[in-house]
Amino acid sequence: MRNLDFEFVDSSKKASKEQTRRSLTYWKDAWRRLKKNKLAMIGLVGVTLIILFGVVGPWFMPYSYSDQDNRFTNIPPRFEIYAIADDGYVFLSSQYNLILVSEKGELLDKLVRTNMDAINKVYTYSYNGEDIEVDFKNRLLEDDGGIDLKVTYKGVTSEYPTKTVSNKTFVWGSDNLGRDMLTRVMYGARISLTVAFVATIVNLIIGVTYGAISGLEGGLVDDIMMRIVDVINSIPLVLYVILLMVLIDNRGLWTIIITLGSVYWVGMARLVRGQVLGLKEQEYVLAARTIGVSKAKIISKHLIPNTMGPIIVAMTMMIPSAVFTEAFLSFIGLGVSAPMASWGTLANDALAGLSTYPYQLFTPSLAIAFTMLSFNFLGDGLRSALDPRLRKG
Amino acid sequence: MSKILEVKNLRTTFFTHLGEVQAVRGISFDLDEGGILGIVGESGSGKSVTSLSIMGLVDDPGRIVEGEILFEGTDLTKLDQREMTKFRGNEISMIFQDPMTSINPAFTVGNQLREVIMAHSDLNKEQAHERALELLRMVGIPDPESRIKNYPYQFSGGMRQRALIAMAIANNPKLLIADEPTTALDVTIQAQILELMRDLKDKIQSSIILITHDLGVISEICDKVIVMYGGMIMEKADINSLFANPQHPYTRGLLLSIPTNVTGKKKRLVPIEGSPPDLMDPPSGCPFSPRCPHAMEICLKKAAPLFKISETQEASCWLHHKDAPEVKGFVKVEGDLS
Amino acid sequence: MIGYYVKRLLSALFTLFLIATLTFFMMRAIPGGPFTREKPLPPQIIAQLNAKYNLDDPVIVQYFSYMKGIATFDLGPSFKELGLTVNDLIKQGFPGSMKVGFVAVMFILLFGIPLGIISALKQNKAIDHVVMVMATIGVTVPSFVVATLYIYFISSKISWIPITGLSNPLAYIGPAIALSGYSLSYVARLTRSSMLEVLRQDYVRTARANGLSEWRVIGKHALKNALIPVITYVGPMIAAILTGSFVVERIFSINGIGRYFVESVNNRDYTVIIGMTVFYSALYIVMVLLVDIGYSLIDPRIKLGKRSGD
Repeated sequence: MRNLDFEFVDSSKKASKEQTRRSLTYWKDAWRRLKKNKLAMIGLVGVTLIILFGVVGPWFMPYSYSDQDNRFTNIPPRFEIYAIADDGYVFLSSQYNLILVSEKGELLDKLVRTNMDAINKVYTYSYNGEDIEVDFKNRLLEDDGGIDLKVTYKGVTSEYPTKTVSNKTFVWGSDNLGRDMLTRVMYGARISLTVAFVATIVNLIIGVTYGAISGLEGGLVDDIMMRIVDVINSIPLVLYVILLMVLIDNRGLWTIIITLGSVYWVGMARLVRGQVLGLKEQEYVLAARTIGVSKAKIISKHLIPNTMGPIIVAMTMMIPSAVFTEAFLSFIGLGVSAPMASWGTLANDALAGLSTYPYQLFTPSLAIAFTMLSFNFLGDGLRSALDPRLRKG
Repeated sequence: MSKILEVKNLRTTFFTHLGEVQAVRGISFDLDEGGILGIVGESGSGKSVTSLSIMGLVDDPGRIVEGEILFEGTDLTKLDQREMTKFRGNEISMIFQDPMTSINPAFTVGNQLREVIMAHSDLNKEQAHERALELLRMVGIPDPESRIKNYPYQFSGGMRQRALIAMAIANNPKLLIADEPTTALDVTIQAQILELMRDLKDKIQSSIILITHDLGVISEICDKVIVMYGGMIMEKADINSLFANPQHPYTRGLLLSIPTNVTGKKKRLVPIEGSPPDLMDPPSGCPFSPRCPHAMEICLKKAAPLFKISETQEASCWLHHKDAPEVKGFVKVEGDLS
Repeated sequence: MIGYYVKRLLSALFTLFLIATLTFFMMRAIPGGPFTREKPLPPQIIAQLNAKYNLDDPVIVQYFSYMKGIATFDLGPSFKELGLTVNDLIKQGFPGSMKVGFVAVMFILLFGIPLGIISALKQNKAIDHVVMVMATIGVTVPSFVVATLYIYFISSKISWIPITGLSNPLAYIGPAIALSGYSLSYVARLTRSSMLEVLRQDYVRTARANGLSEWRVIGKHALKNALIPVITYVGPMIAAILTGSFVVERIFSINGIGRYFVESVNNRDYTVIIGMTVFYSALYIVMVLLVDIGYSLIDPRIKLGKRSGD
């Protein structure tokens, strides 16, 4: 009896057993690897959100970045409201303005202050002809006995707030001119991101051109160009940004963009030069040349895919650092001029009132940190996804 | 002759986040005292992982999941890292493939040599220095007195490999594992290093495992050979039987793919078609079956046991089974098929 | 080796010369001259001032006297605070800036490097994740935010920590945290990735195969190699920290050069801005030079200007 196990198999069946790994193009492979990287995807979502926030956000806001409502200055995002009989609710702002609010937290009006008794720490406000007395002694005491304010209206005193509500009129509160913080931060995103993106593109153009010329020309040209880069590199660049900003002395958006763009291209130039130098000597490029592949094809098949990766990674990392530098400049008073505001300007404006209105600093700071974090995550992910040395698995 | 090393059913797996890579899949072999065993196979055949398993140097996420490695009766797989350091560089030592990267660039050659010597002996610094000079002389480094102060970047590739060999033999190891010691070197240097190893084998009287993908190197110094493929042993034989009478289709393929001029006739090189298996998801059955010219149904289903061809030769191939069709050159063996 | 140092020194001097020249012509480029104010000064006063500061001389004469000033460490007068020179401001501010900068650099070296090493050795364990999350936050939050948060949450709540100034040792904590936050996090990340890279190297495996204890393998063989890229970063970083504390000094009201610099920027005190820029650049270049020389003593592979990292 023949044992069927010992029949020879034909080659087609063997071929199906042999494993092959699907081959993917560079970008497909990179995308596949990026998708696997959780942090990078979080970064990508974050970047998308922050761009939407800045671009689309303001369309949905009822205010513009310069709309002021001087009745409602420095109103925090959340506050405690006190019932005044059946006539509604009030809230005392840090500037001792008594604001009439709805139960849900909509700001209705600022009540007129009719009397200030600074000695007894009792202020009187008028509402529909009736007096509201607000006694804030306890607020200033170390031991307040659990009581913050005493609000007396029509003879009824409420010692405890009815509840804490979120500000429905200005979701992130308002600034010292009664402008909506959320809207300001959204416009801040526009400005900060515009500066960052455009400055990065300016950097990219200068850096890639400079680096490519230096790398391709080689020889003396390369030597001189790289000496210049070395000199620029041995200078603390932020000083020159400051110096240029001071000298140009025009607080337009374009001044910042041009200044940042003209100074920070050195890293990109070095990167591109290194890439070009390395690639033009690569065996596979030489091999392609020897078998007569056209120059255009060498550039598109070999040089571009291998240089694009590092350039994209460098760009992703440059954007947050441009946001950072812009915030820094605004913070020392060299930012865009009022009433426009970048995140750095908003943070700087908030600095004076930090102890009383910390929320004014938190929101732009959080926006900066969120942006930096998102771009960093994305950049790290791109770096490992696009690095040809890591291409496996 | 007593056995210095016995490896029994060794299985080493890498638990990567993409899946398990079964690098070594249940191999057994032994090494006589004073013997020179060659392990041959292409990249990914598991030969290097086998040597690292013996040294206890399988890196995360790899792990020995099964089997024993008995060195003079001690099961090395049962030892923890601290106990292993007493063996490594002392009783068992290893030479690696790439001398350019295997030597620490930040310290002088002398510093690194003295460190190995002092780690396993009571010699003081001066004595260790003397011993280091002696070792450099032994491995043929000219002017050791000044060379000992050099940093590795001042050494050529061949010189670095000599320095690494000096470190490996510093404490007269009983077992020396050389993992492709010549692959990364120029051909002329390769010959010198092989010459040195043959020379040292007599001087320090250790047993050697030589890992290579080059059968030519094996034929020059080994007395026994293991052929590995896809993490398994395909054939075990003494050197003469293997070259004269290979009993596994893979071994045959390997021999046909070496350029040779022994017969005087011009022969065409015969490549082995296909590519090595992906150990992430190894084929069931014989790992070589997808590329084997004689593959049978059973080969795809089940790996063959080692059929004993003679006292000195075993091969893992179903062609040796009594039910298998006749193929010229393959011997039938009476054996139990479990 | 000596040739290398001479070459480095000459190139540093050349860079300084370029900076001085560049800043001089930038100062010339200011529209309307340095005495332009919102409320114009009477012409005779401007003429007096111009005469006093030699602004009537030909540009080339002014250039030489300016360069001579720099060569003799005389950075010229302030045009806004009459009677004060840039040198005076630097003398007043330098100690404060150096003290805070030194504490910040110590923070970075003493916490950043060890945290990076621990993180690498415990890769993918809980402590690694904690350190890396902190480090990621550290490189993404700007120093002025760290500083203001510190003031809001810590020093304004805890009475024995001073909010501003450098009156007692505890006062250094806030400025040092704010100043070191970014670099500390970056150094921790860099040390970790460098250590991980080195631990994968063949020579580490050789050291293990030679039967060295784990302590020696990591503490000697891996560490020295892992620190080389870290040192490459730390060099310019130290220079940047010692010279880059504008914001932190302003927020914490520290009498440092950074604060004076920001004030001069806000006052448009051009000579001070430019003088300080030259001073900062010189300090930066000297620091980088010193660190480079130190570095060449550590890494045996550096030969005649060839740096492994380049």
